[in-house]
Amino acid sequence: MSQLAFCPAGFPAMSATEDRLVRDARWSALMARAQEGDGGAYNTLLRECLPLLRSICRQRLREPAEVEDAVQDTLLTLHRVRNTYDPTRPFRPWIAAIAERRALDRGRGVARGLARHTDLEAADHIGVDGGAETKLMSADLRAAVAELPASQRQALQLTKIEALSLAEASARSGMSMGALKVATHRAVQTLRRKFGIESNKGEP
Amino acid sequence: MRTEDLVSQLAQGLKPVRRLPSPLAMLGLWCLFCAGIIAAALLVSGLRSNFVARLLDGFDLYQLMSAAMVALTAGYAAFQLALPDRDQRWALLPVPAVVGWLAIMGWGCLADFARFGSAALTLTTSYPCLYFIIGLGVPMTAAIVFLTRHAALLRPTPVAALGGLSAAAFASLGLSLVHELNAAVMVLVWHGLAVLVVAFIGAMTGPALMQRAAAV
Repeated sequence: MSQLAFCPAGFPAMSATEDRLVRDARWSALMARAQEGDGGAYNTLLRECLPLLRSICRQRLREPAEVEDAVQDTLLTLHRVRNTYDPTRPFRPWIAAIAERRALDRGRGVARGLARHTDLEAADHIGVDGGAETKLMSADLRAAVAELPASQRQALQLTKIEALSLAEASARSGMSMGALKVATHRAVQTLRRKFGIESNKGEP
Repeated sequence: MRTEDLVSQLAQGLKPVRRLPSPLAMLGLWCLFCAGIIAAALLVSGLRSNFVARLLDGFDLYQLMSAAMVALTAGYAAFQLALPDRDQRWALLPVPAVVGWLAIMGWGCLADFARFGSAALTLTTSYPCLYFIIGLGVPMTAAIVFLTRHAALLRPTPVAALGGLSAAAFASLGLSLVHELNAAVMVLVWHGLAVLVVAFIGAMTGPALMQRAAAV
């Protein structure tokens, strides 16, 4: 705790030479303060942890975008389970375990999502017929999905690509089931509009 | 959304949270809850007539103790595993107790056989056992699933299965207090089957229940 006296919220990232034990102790203390509602400590802690989270997720995922998504999943999860951290225990294993779990899920989701891209259900959602795999994997679609508002993109990812149930998707994203339904519907409508027209024009 | 923006969003207006009690404290809470349920079952059905005599006989005492060990170790393992940073080998904690319970039951079967011959190993159906353990074990599983709902995002299935095992073992213990089932082979088969069913139901339905409880 004494470390905190010298580390006001918003202090710069730590030097590489700083002892890991000291850093862990400080992270524990920051998390303890975050549990008490100190947003500044939480902000500092999460920002300092981002390199660690990215390196854990990079070990399991290849695509940089997937890595970043897994890091965001990790942040959302740890936010929801922040009451499970015990400040008498080291912080690093706690956050690393969550990151590993989310990266693993994201990896499985990607694999499942790729498989699903070839099936008719996926084609039905987007409104393309024939050549669905190449179409869906195209840069156009990625760009279109990237243009969606963040909540719609996340809803689409969880409910359609990862094929989670609404309850699971709600737990993962922190959005209510109603909000998820609306966001997914809107995302699908947007994509359908976009690709429906293009597919009519472009396909023989 | 950029990750840094997400961090700012999460930190903005951060609400304080109450830290989860330690697994040991959670186990204490769980045991109190189960003791209450078993006491209610005793009030309704009454203590079995030959309980004390059978207890002094030895076999029932060992059977009750081993069921209690299964309930305690499975419950403690569930509360440990529900936390993100705990080793997944905690899942193995109840294994010795389960093996012990099976060994005691096996020994009971042999003792019955030595005393009464092959008649002691005759298996008849005992649906009340099955209904009692499942009827009591499933709602109790829902209770421990609620207590471990923070595992919803991490490893819900093993936690729910262990919770189901603990709940079923407590129900089996409760049944041994109220229901007369003297042949060891009957206890082994019917209690064992019912406990397996409850743990299976826990593993199958627990994760979805946790998700719902955690989303509230």
